[in-house]
Order: sequence, then structure tokens, then C-alpha cells
Amino acid sequence: MRFAADTGGTFTDLIVEYDDGNIKMFKAPTTPSNPVQGVLDALANAAKDSGISLHKFLRQADCFIHGTTHAINAIITGNTAKTAFLTTKGHPDILLMREGGRTEPFNHSVAYPDAYIPRSLTWEIPERINYAGDVIEPLNEEAVIDVIQKMKGQHVEAVAVCLLWSISNPDHELRIQALLNKHLPDVPVTLSHKLNPTLREYRRASSACIDASLKPLMGQYLGSLMKKMEAAGFSGKLFVVSSQGGMMEASSLAEAPIHAINSGPSLAPLAGSYYAQLEHQYEAVIVADTGGTTYDVSLVRQGHIPMSREMWIGEPYRGHMTGFPSVDVKSIGAGGGSIAWVDGGGMLHVGPKSAGAEPGPACYGHGGLEPTLTDACLVLGYLDPDYFLGGSMKINIALSREAISSRVAEPLGISLEEAAWSIMDLATENMTQAIVDITVNQGIDATQAVLIGGGGAAGLNSTFIAQRLGCKQLIIPEVGAALSAAGELMSDLSMEYRSTYFSSTENFDIKRANVVLADLRSRCEDFIKKAGQHSKQHSIVYKVEARYPSQVWEIEVDLPFEQFSSDEDVVSLRQNFHDTHQRIFAIQDSESHVECVTWSATVRCKMNQRDGLGRVIHDNEGRKTKTRQIYFANYGAVDARIESIHQLTIDEKYKGPAVIESPFTTVVIDPGSHYSRSANGSLVIEPFGA
Amino acid sequence: MMKTDKIKLNGAQLAVFNSRFEGVVRKMSNTLFRTGRSGVLNRARDFSCCIVTKDCDLLAAAESLPIHVLSGPDMMSKAMHEFHPDLKSGDAYINNSPYHGCSHAADQTILIPVIEDGKHHFTVLAKAHQADIGNSVPTTYYGAARDVYEEGALIFPAMKIQHNYQDIDDIIRMCKMRIRVPEQWYGDYLAALGSARIGEREIIEMGREFGWDTLHAFADQWFDYSEKLMSVSLSVLPKGKIIGTSTHDPFPGTPDTGVPINVRIEIKPEEGVVEVDLTDNMDSLPFGLNLSEACARTSAMVGIFNSIDHTTPKNSGSFRRIKIKLRKGCIVGIPEMPTSCSVATTNIADRVANAVQCAIAELQDGFGMAEVGAVLAPSSSVISGKDYRNGNDYVNQVFLGFTAGAASATQDAWLTVGHVGNAGLCYQDSVELDELYMPLHVYERRIIPDTEGAGKYRGAPSYYCEFGPIGGSFEVGYVSDGNINGPKGVRGGQTGGNSDQLIRRLNNSVEKLPACAQVTVQENERIISISTGGGGYGDPMQRDPERVLSDYLNGYITKERSKTTYGVVITEENEIDNYETAHIRSE
Repeated sequence: MRFAADTGGTFTDLIVEYDDGNIKMFKAPTTPSNPVQGVLDALANAAKDSGISLHKFLRQADCFIHGTTHAINAIITGNTAKTAFLTTKGHPDILLMREGGRTEPFNHSVAYPDAYIPRSLTWEIPERINYAGDVIEPLNEEAVIDVIQKMKGQHVEAVAVCLLWSISNPDHELRIQALLNKHLPDVPVTLSHKLNPTLREYRRASSACIDASLKPLMGQYLGSLMKKMEAAGFSGKLFVVSSQGGMMEASSLAEAPIHAINSGPSLAPLAGSYYAQLEHQYEAVIVADTGGTTYDVSLVRQGHIPMSREMWIGEPYRGHMTGFPSVDVKSIGAGGGSIAWVDGGGMLHVGPKSAGAEPGPACYGHGGLEPTLTDACLVLGYLDPDYFLGGSMKINIALSREAISSRVAEPLGISLEEAAWSIMDLATENMTQAIVDITVNQGIDATQAVLIGGGGAAGLNSTFIAQRLGCKQLIIPEVGAALSAAGELMSDLSMEYRSTYFSSTENFDIKRANVVLADLRSRCEDFIKKAGQHSKQHSIVYKVEARYPSQVWEIEVDLPFEQFSSDEDVVSLRQNFHDTHQRIFAIQDSESHVECVTWSATVRCKMNQRDGLGRVIHDNEGRKTKTRQIYFANYGAVDARIESIHQLTIDEKYKGPAVIESPFTTVVIDPGSHYSRSANGSLVIEPFGA
Repeated sequence: MMKTDKIKLNGAQLAVFNSRFEGVVRKMSNTLFRTGRSGVLNRARDFSCCIVTKDCDLLAAAESLPIHVLSGPDMMSKAMHEFHPDLKSGDAYINNSPYHGCSHAADQTILIPVIEDGKHHFTVLAKAHQADIGNSVPTTYYGAARDVYEEGALIFPAMKIQHNYQDIDDIIRMCKMRIRVPEQWYGDYLAALGSARIGEREIIEMGREFGWDTLHAFADQWFDYSEKLMSVSLSVLPKGKIIGTSTHDPFPGTPDTGVPINVRIEIKPEEGVVEVDLTDNMDSLPFGLNLSEACARTSAMVGIFNSIDHTTPKNSGSFRRIKIKLRKGCIVGIPEMPTSCSVATTNIADRVANAVQCAIAELQDGFGMAEVGAVLAPSSSVISGKDYRNGNDYVNQVFLGFTAGAASATQDAWLTVGHVGNAGLCYQDSVELDELYMPLHVYERRIIPDTEGAGKYRGAPSYYCEFGPIGGSFEVGYVSDGNINGPKGVRGGQTGGNSDQLIRRLNNSVEKLPACAQVTVQENERIISISTGGGGYGDPMQRDPERVLSDYLNGYITKERSKTTYGVVITEENEIDNYETAHIRSE
């Protein structure tokens, strides 16, 4: 048995995959101050469902995969550790000057970003190494100890060290670490050459500083998660989703928490694309995940998960470069918990502020007085107060009415229904714009794409979003309410090992290149033995990053072999580089030699027994069909059929208006739309009719 | 065949087509960046790509260097049409002539006409600053050049360089003879060519997907839409006539008082039009800083666009609302042979743009900007010599650090702007990359505290950079303005730090160097480069105290300056002393 839990701002989603491959979803509210609790609560629900104790239930599991927004939330809210930055003397402004560059050259209203670590927490260390790794100026250890005393005085909680040319000679960084460990024990340290051994001091420094600033809280979070899981009976392996859309062992992640920055949303594109392709070979798939707090969108073209090669926190040039690639997901502050408010000028806003899990929407009755999108849906009749989360949670529609009346309808001088609709309409517009941004930016015509509605609140307005975009089809997968968690169960355990070894095809040293490749292979094999011991299948892919002489950006070329066997392999590598260069850049310098710089091996261990996921188990047939009055601006109040998704005949076309319910989600279909249930369990909606 | 004026695109389609064209330009830029061989391209990104229509109107330039593209691509394409009326698929043209629309000779531009079924539809341009262009001295900024002959650049007035997708070897051979480090030049030529070929390929795909008539209809409607937005943006400016001035420091070949630049601006908000008259300026001088026509027009436009709603599109449609008056033979007008324009994109051009935006700022609060700092300090010099590690000759412009950003009416400076015509788009070199690729060592780089242009919104501080050759000597060429005439503030904002350049001899003594020079630096000697800051906007005593504190914590200013210049008292615990602050500020 495996499980995957995804902690969102409002709910913690859990999917359990039983040994027969079938799956089941569970949810529990997230406790922002203690996110581990939400995971345990969701697991307790799952144990209860199986009719056994939590302890017994957890004993059966061999693998637990976790996606979390803990790291990015800490950065956004400014709750990372007080971090010091140690740099080579004479170069204190590496984080301030960065690599230059800017977007919107005529926009003078955007502030230049502060350095990730201010100068007041930056210390220059007397030392210098040159490009060849030679020590030009020895490390002044007394100066380091002096700096350590100053850091103590400032109560520094984490330290990042990035010295010039530490990638050529790491001695000084290593020595500083030893001194820190001795004089400042218990304060975590990140060394730039270990974390991200890349040329270019800014990105190495930025990686190190971001990573160090996350270490105290991520170490504590993952440690406490593991401890509590073990105390509750779990004895399997804990994996955490990385920004690159793979998973890592929790202990490795605690040592390099920078990889958790995009942990939350990075696997929704994989799952969304999978469920789209089950229905049809779509060229372009828009994957949207509506949570309580954020709306995450990505665009999958021809099955390729979108990656950005240089992930930034915030916008490029205006935020901080992480120095690592990531799955490309755009996030805006809009979701079921988004708060609606009227400003001093009489204009309505929805979000980006969210009521979150605490106090939650007004209808939760936990003291929230501000109306949210969820409250609007209740008033519009889209949600049934007696069947929220399958009836597992009691909500109070009177509180929603009161909140919307007093804070939106009255200030705007409109009726309660109009106010609720306006909230819905504005939220729909905000979400639509997020999608327009990514499709237009990539020159994709959204009318030719399919929209995947993931997340618990997706069904409330995805039909309207699809109509706004002109999408001809909208698919709500049966695991849609927990799309990221579903992606987690499909993902592989993976690790990339890299080694820098320079060799030109002009005088290529086959022997030494083979030593490098053999070392990469043995590291991959170790990984398979240790982390991947439960894997069903594994593979290793070798690549080399190469360039023409005096270029400074390499391109990646596949190596179709594990070892060079003859000069012919070198010739074919060179030709392969020319061809790749021609394909990507429309030119080749066919007379030129090729410089090989970085060699990599990516190991992937398949942790999933099947391709994709099994089907969701349903315990009951849902409620008997009935009707309910729901409100649309274009149609007014209409009687809509209330149906359980399991009651729909497969592949039969139905016409709206309707509300399709399942324990975790409610899908609203307006009178103009058609819908059907596919053989794969997905709800397929045609927002413009057949 | 459908007539383009019959095809009406809606707002959503306009947005999508615009993004597609901009996307093509971004892809072209990415190609050039990733494949360039010289540091000026692959580290600093000193290049621009754009698309013009069949009628030579600028359509899309994505995020190109403003001074490179606003005006010029139109004239360069016209020259191509004029000299080669019969354009063929597979052609490529080279144009770096400042007398035929190029900015300056170093900005070698490859033009490829996009042709299908024998019909010309668009032209793609890739303009890339060369590490060397064959000048008589190893620099692409020859400030002291008396004329184009002394400058010595190879000049290509829209010549054909590829036929049927193959190089015309006569031209390539000549370039390899006359340009320093020929393999580097050829690699960079290939990079620009590849970039333009990528653009050609992408546009042909678009033509096939949507139909050429639709694309041409888009261009027409996009220009009309842009013109309308421009008119709206100008309509909110205050009506009036103003004169702006800015003075370039004295250089060889100039009067001792330097070069004053005057701009006459008339804003007609009711018509949605702005007029800029540059004719009241001195004639071309016997030096390399005269503007090309492209740079004269563009620098005026940069000042205007810096002063209005930034969302206004920049293309031939919006340009219809800017009337620029130039004069033949003027230093900021239309140069005639053999006037040298070797340094046309920076020094004097920056003075024009600064004069425009400062004048608009002084006209009314809330508009315009302060002066962006000047260039080109030795940290942005062209460096040449022989690399002792491999015996190879090298020549390349370094971008070892600059700040220069000016305050706007609503925000502090963008720190790393470089100069006003660049707008911060260029990258800055990594110490590690420069030390790896050239025999030099970078000893120190840091912002200089208390040199920011103080103001309600503040300009950038100056930047200090100390570097020198190892294993042999090298030559540096630079043209550093701003030592005497620092970046002015506006509306009570203060002047930012001035520039300077010095040399540290082997005995550790430090000597001043001239502002415009070609200097040989001996092994282990060091150049000290101080680049300008940027001007402030508004009274520093009105600056938000929280910003002042943040400036202190981030190393921009000292506590002393916080108190004397901004009236903000910071305590021992690094908090604002509200009582003392209120007291000082009320005086």
C-alpha cells in the first residue's frame, strides 16, 4: 500500500493506493500552524474507512509521498531563518547586483529587488582562489572566527557560504564549514560548491542563501513529520516531491530544502496531462488546480511537462534566482477561500487574500466574517449545505448570506444573488486571466486546447472559465479533487548526478571520459540500491552538456552509450552536437570542434506498478437524484438536476443545468452545456453544447 | 485573394498575434544569446532582434535594447530594398552603416527578408554588438576618431552576405582579413545569422498557419491600435513648450566646456502628439561621438517613452505620434560622410534622452524621470591583448559592473540600468566567467555608499570596480562621461555620484587617467573604475523613513547621511528614531 498526501493552504488531500491498485481519496483541513496534523488527520480518516486502527493501517504502507508548500510559504511570508552570507573579500554585492538584466525596460514603477540577504548580514572573508583553483590569498581563519563571533551577536540561525572559484577548489569553503561547526554548532550551513556546483558566482550564491534560509524550518518540519508518522506506526519510506516534479527521500531533501520550493504544485501537470490523454490525444492541455487559497495553472504541450530551466522565486529579474530548474506552474491568489471585499471607491475585489483553513469561509462558522467564493457558491445553490465534502462537514448557509449581504450586496446596492454572482464572476475572470497569460505568452490559442479542472473547488466555475476561454472541452478527472496527490503516486523517484570534466573533441581523452561516466554509473547504482530498493523498474540516461569553443552556454546532447568504445563514438558525438545545434539554433559550425563540459546521469526508479493510476473505489451509489434551484446571471434561478457521478451512464450525453456531486467535489453545469461520464471515470463537459 | 482591409481581427486575436510575433523575437534573441561567441553577446547580451513589415515599419522588438531598435530597423530595411529591389528566398544582408540606418558601426546587423512563393512579407533583423569591427585601434568605441577613416571600421551599406542560404565568401574573406580575432567574429556572425533564420522559419510557419493576408491585416490593425494608445498616453501630459538641456563632459575634439545638448519639446495633449526639435545644437564634431540618424531619433523617443504610461506599445504605430525634427550635419541629427559615429549609441545619445525626460519631469510632478548615469567607464571597456595561457589574441568588451539607474516619479531607480539607452537589459559579467575566458583578475566590486542621487525616490549609487591583467599586459579602451557633469536629479532630487578612472601602479600608487583613452595596463597593474550613480526625484526630506532605513541596512547609505540628507535618525538597534526624525524634518 502507498499513500500520497498533498498539503494545501486549506485542505490536506490524501490518496491511498491499495495493493490491488485501486485508490481512494480522503481530505482533512490543514492546520497552518502545524501542517503535520492535517496529514495525520487525513490518515486517521483513511484508517477509519478501512475499519482498523491508525497504527495497523500505517503498518501496511511501505511508501508515503508528500507534497508541501511549506518552503515557499515561508519565503513569501518572510518566515525563513535569519541567514548570514559569507563571501570572498571585495565582493559583497554579489546578491545585490546579481547578473543584471531586466524585463519591461520602460516600466519605472517596479522596485529593484533587495538582495536575498542584506548587507547587514553579509560578511567578507579575506581569501581568494583563482580560476585554476590556485590559492592567491590564503584563508584568514582568525577573520572567520571573528565573523563567527559577530554572527553570534546577531543571533544568526543559518549560514550560506559562497566563495569565488569554490568549484575549482573547495578547500576554503570546507574549512569555513569546519570552523562554523566548531564555533557555531547547531547552526545549519550550506556550501555553494556542494549544493549547486555551477560556474557564475551569483547563481551559486543565491542557491546557497535560499537553501540555508530554509534549512531550520524544513529540517524541523520533515523531522517532526517522520517522527509523528513513526510514532503512529508507519515504518516505510518517506518521500517528498521536488520542484523538478520527481520525488526525493525526505532525509536528502532536509539537507537541500531548496528543492522543495515548488513541491506543492509540481505534479498536477503530470496527472492532468495523463487524464486528458486517456480521453483523446490533445495537442495542448491546460491543467488548472483550484485549491482553497491558490489557483495553479500550467500548459502541457504534446505531452511535455513544462519546465523552466532557471526557476525564480517571484518574477524573473524581479525576484531571486534559485539556480535550479523546475516544473513551470503559474500560481495566483484565487480559490474557494478567496475573500470578496468592496474597496473605498466602491469596487468589488475577490482575493488574493484567502480565509484559508482558519477561520475559513463564513459558512464554516469558525468565526470568519468575510464572504468567500465558497460562501457565494452556497448562496447561488451550487453547494448543498447538507452535503459539503460528502456530508462530512457541517456548514451554515445563513452565515454566508449574512456575510455577503452586509459586506458586498449592501455596499454595492444589489441583491444577495447578484452579489453572489458578481463574486463568482470576478473570481472566474481572475482565473481566466491567469490562463490567458500562459497561453498567450506561448502563442497558444486556448480555443484549441482542453481544460483540466483539478482541485476540490474546480467544479464550481470551471465550466464558466472554459466558456470564457472558448475551450471546447473541459475534463474533471475522477481524482480531480486531489490532482497533485494523484500526480505524486504516478511520479518516479529520480536523481541526477553531474560531473564536470572538460574535454574537446580536438584531443578527446576517451579513457578519462570513461572514468567519469563509470563513476556516474556507480553513483546511480548506489542510489538504486538504497533509495530505490522498492522500485519496480529503473533506468539511467547519460547526457553531456557541450558547446562550440568560446560559447558560454552549453546544450545537452544524449549519449547513446555508457562508455566510449572507440574514436568513432567521439565522431558521432561531435556530429550529434552539430545536428542538435542546427535543430535548435538553425546553424552549425561544422568545421569546429566541440567542447564537452558537464556529464550527467539521471537515474529514475519507477515506484508505481502500473502506467498511470488505478480506479477510484466508491462505497455507495451516492444520493438519490433530485433537483435544486440554482442561480445563473443569464438564466436567473433554474431547477437543476442533482446527480451523483456514479449514476451517469457511461458515454451518454446529458444536457445542463445540473449539479454533479461526489464526496469531494461538486460540478456545476449551466443550461447551455452538455456533459457525459467517460469510461475512465472522468466527467467530460462541452461548455458550448454538442 | 482577400484584401487585408477586409479582415477584421478582434481584441483577443490582436493579443494572440502580438504575442506570437513577440514570441518569435524572443526565440531569435535566445538563439543569439546561447550561440554567440564573444562575451559582449553571450555574457552581456548586447544585441537586439526585431521584425519589420514589408513596408519597413517596426512591428515587434520584444525586449530589445531601446537605443538599438526604436528607430533604425526601418531605415536599414529601406536601404536593403533600395539596393536590392529583387529580394530572394535564401538571401541575407549585412548592414552596419550609420549612414544607412544603423546605430553605429559595431552594431552589425543581419537582415533576412521573409519570402514565400516569391513574395516578400516581413523582414527579420538581428543586430549584435561586435567585439571588434576592424577599427584602427582595438575598441568598438573610438571616441577620439577624427572621422570614419581614422575610425577605420568596416562599413557595410546593406550588402548581400548570403545567397540561396550559402555565405558569399568574398565578404566573409574580407571580414576575416580585417577584423581582429576572426574566428570569434565568424562565430558571432553565425549566431546572428542563426537567430535571423530562426525568425524567418517561425514567421513562415505562421504565414502557412494563418494566411499571409491575416498577418498583414494584423500589422495594420496593431499599428492603428498602438497609435490610439499612444495618443491617449500623451493626452494626460501637461500641455506646454519646454527646453531641456544636458551637458556631455569635454573630450578630445570638443570645446573645453564640453558638449551642451538642447532639446525643444512641445506637448500637445489635445492632439495626442509630442514634438521634439533637436536642430538647435552644434554641428558634427571631429570625434567619434556624433549621433547617427537612428540614434538621434531613438534617443529622443527613449526620453518620451520613459515619461509616459509604460504599457503603450513601441512600434511604428505609436511612433506616428512623435514628431522629431533633425538637421543634416548636426551632432544630434543626420550625419554626413565622413563624420564618425563610432560611439553613437551611448554618450551623446544618453544626453538627448536625459534632457527630454528631465524637462518633462520639471514641467509637472508625477511625470518624467531624473538623469540616468553616463557611460562608458573602464568597467565597460573593450579589452585586448594576448592570452598567456594559450597564446591567442583576444578582444572583447567587458561588462564588469555598472549601476546608473535614475529615480522615476513613483519609484526608486532600477539599480543596474547601465545607461538610459540600454534600460538595464544588458547583463553584467560574472567574475568567474571573465577570469576563465580572459587573462584578468577582478580584485573588488562594490557599490559606493552615500553616492546615490538622493530624493523622495532615489537614484542608483556609483559602482567601484578594480581589475587588471595577469600574465602580461592588456589594452583598455573606454569613453567615460559623467566625471564633471554627474547625473542630475529633478524636482529637488540630488545629483548621483560622478564617474572616475584611475590606475594602481605596481608600487601601489594611484594615478588619474583621462576620460576618453586607450590605455596599456602592465601585468599586475590595476584599473580602478568608478561608474556614475543616477539622479534622484523629489525632495529627500520627503522620503519614506522605512526606505531610508532599508537603504542603510542594504549598504546604500551610512547613518550619517541618513540623518543629514534624509533627516532620518537610525538608532543603535537599527530602528527609526521617530521622535528625532520628526524633529529634524520639521526644521
